[in-house]
Amino acid sequence: MTNVTGRRPVATSAPPYGAPPTHRTPASGRGARSRGGYDRPRRPVRRTRRRWVTALIPWMFLAPALLLFVYFKLMPLLQAIRMSFYDVRPYLGDRYVGFGNYVAVTTQPLFTKAIWQTVVLAVGTTGGSIVLGFLLAILVEGQARHLWLVRTAAFLPVVTTMAVVAEVWRIMYYPGRSGALNTLLGWVGLGPEPFLAGEHQALASVMLVGIWRGAPYDMMIFLAGLASVDRNLYEAAAVDGGERWQRFRHVTLPSLRPVITILCLLAALRGLRSFTEVFLLTNGAPNGATEVIMTLIYKLGAEQGQLGVAAAGSMVLFLAIATVTIAVNTWRRRVTAR
Amino acid sequence: MIVAVTLAGCSSTSMLNVPQDPRAELQVWLREPPGSAAARTADRLVKAFSARTGYKAQLTALYENFETKLQQQAAYRQLPDVVINDTEKLGSMQSQGWLVPIDRATFPGGDQIADRAWQAARAANGNYYAVPLTAHTFALFVRADWRAKLGLPVPTTWDDIVDMAIAFTTRDPDGDGRADTYGLVVPGTTTRGYMAWYFASYLYDNGGEFLANTQPGRWVPAINDAKGVQAAAWLKDLFCRYHVVNPDAVDLDTSRAHDTFEKNLGGIYLTGPYMLPRFVKSMGPSRIEVFPLPAGPGGGPNALAEGENVYLTMGSRNRAAQLAFAQFAASVEGQTLAMDANGNGPVVRLPVNTKVDVGAIRTDPRWKTFQHVYATDSTYVPSVPNWAPFRQMAADTLNGVMANCGSDVKGSLDKLAAQFAAELKRQNVYGG
Repeated sequence: MTNVTGRRPVATSAPPYGAPPTHRTPASGRGARSRGGYDRPRRPVRRTRRRWVTALIPWMFLAPALLLFVYFKLMPLLQAIRMSFYDVRPYLGDRYVGFGNYVAVTTQPLFTKAIWQTVVLAVGTTGGSIVLGFLLAILVEGQARHLWLVRTAAFLPVVTTMAVVAEVWRIMYYPGRSGALNTLLGWVGLGPEPFLAGEHQALASVMLVGIWRGAPYDMMIFLAGLASVDRNLYEAAAVDGGERWQRFRHVTLPSLRPVITILCLLAALRGLRSFTEVFLLTNGAPNGATEVIMTLIYKLGAEQGQLGVAAAGSMVLFLAIATVTIAVNTWRRRVTAR
Repeated sequence: MIVAVTLAGCSSTSMLNVPQDPRAELQVWLREPPGSAAARTADRLVKAFSARTGYKAQLTALYENFETKLQQQAAYRQLPDVVINDTEKLGSMQSQGWLVPIDRATFPGGDQIADRAWQAARAANGNYYAVPLTAHTFALFVRADWRAKLGLPVPTTWDDIVDMAIAFTTRDPDGDGRADTYGLVVPGTTTRGYMAWYFASYLYDNGGEFLANTQPGRWVPAINDAKGVQAAAWLKDLFCRYHVVNPDAVDLDTSRAHDTFEKNLGGIYLTGPYMLPRFVKSMGPSRIEVFPLPAGPGGGPNALAEGENVYLTMGSRNRAAQLAFAQFAASVEGQTLAMDANGNGPVVRLPVNTKVDVGAIRTDPRWKTFQHVYATDSTYVPSVPNWAPFRQMAADTLNGVMANCGSDVKGSLDKLAAQFAAELKRQNVYGG
């Protein structure tokens, strides 16, 4: 231990964990203090040291994870910030272009459309998943064995690989009359619909896949939330003559508020970064109708080799996500404080 | 953030000062599905090269997102030593400084390679950056059994194509009593710019051009002239007026389009000779006919010319082996081997080496159609410094035109021409 306060070494400092308390003698320990006089300045020293040690220990436990985080997250992030100001050419040498990349990415013909569609997709998928997930949760809440089976079955989309999900849906969405969904529509005299191939249906079709995949996850969280609602509240409400709907409206919903908030936040962040489903289902087509920020960034960076411009796009997305996170957290804190 | 991670491995050492090691294994990348017949042919080519020269070499076949994976390797400065890829990727690779220049005059065996093929290995600055490997063009694959059943004539005009497509869609050519067939199979996705690539043959066939060459090394947009608009409007009619195109066309890439044709969903497929062995094997030798694209109303006949080059990349630890491989691949021995005469995985489609006796190797007469079209009526894409952005922009626009039946063809192509002009200026080759 170093003498962090810069004062003369004091033998009474708290020993590190595991070290035997050999210095704790009656003269320098608690006993010394009772004599009065110069024991007063010692107390802050000891406290500061103890505080330092206590502060340091969690960091040491965190260190392995932090090192990985710094190497794999923070350094690439800093690298991306640097790249966003350069024309990146690994084989010819980078060229500084100032804010040129930011201008280039924000003036992309599809940029505004992609932002708008990202938001629509995020809001639609989030909202749809929460509503559907909640309905599912209410339907399958309970202890019975068959419910356990239903819950497991309903959860399958979440654990299935996105690539498989996308391929299955792509087959179901086949826009000809022989497609799976179009056959169903044909039975009731509708269709055939173009789905992913239609400019006005593609985004909604991608959204539906997102909801189908996201709802069971939300269902599980809701189930956990529902299980933690105090049963006494239901009984009290019933005693007070509350109808089923009133009990739901005034007991269940308010108890689930924290769950709903956290689901909204998680889903919104996931929504802003949505890439895999769009990339696999349409890759932005038809006519840019499903282009989202991530697919645009991917095309710029990985397909066209404009790594600097793509990095600038990533920074814009990063700022958007940070803003949403901070805004939601602030709002949550205010609501809780009320 | 994905992009950021890829850059973490950059250093600042010069690419040309890599210590040489003649025993270093040569990494050869090929854009073919892993395990496919073509990949196996290429593997035989690489092994024959090793046996002949003593250099160690390893083939990697990759298909999905090939360029993306190359970009990632480049970001790490770890490009494979040799890349076998489309001729039109030359500009994109060269402008990023990836490629070793080739001295055509002193390249061993260079005089045996067709001049036409060498042109597709030349960058906008007049220097050569690749060694030609193979060439091909495009023609119409038509279901012979369907055409015979419905008694349709061989297409000799664009109207004939429309009539045939309508008949294939409405007259139940497979006889299963269901309306589940379509006239044309179109890979119309924007991915890799496929829509523009597919449309290029019709554009050239109608006497149109993407860019007009005003003087050597200078271009102006030409996509929105009368012939270009006519070709695009004709294709749009097939989508929107006659509804004779596979309904998922605007999302379809080529590998899925091949499946669509094989699964009897469409009867006319404009594609390259490399598909011939596969279709003959999977659908039977007598069910496919190959016809040259009939001349469009505005010009032609013509079709897109393409090929693949052997690209040698910067930073190799074994430059001698790189050069030896390019030399072997273009030699009579290498070309003959890669033509895979008796198999169904030709890496070399139409040989670029003039000493190869094609007739002795390829006996199927359908190959002759391609050879004839390539030699007489085919056009490579403009040799601008980097064609990739043009192809992508054209694909985005044309995909929009075909996907949105209310679109204004002329207006959309005017906008595309404006984008072309801006890109030409960005690449410093605008000739207006």
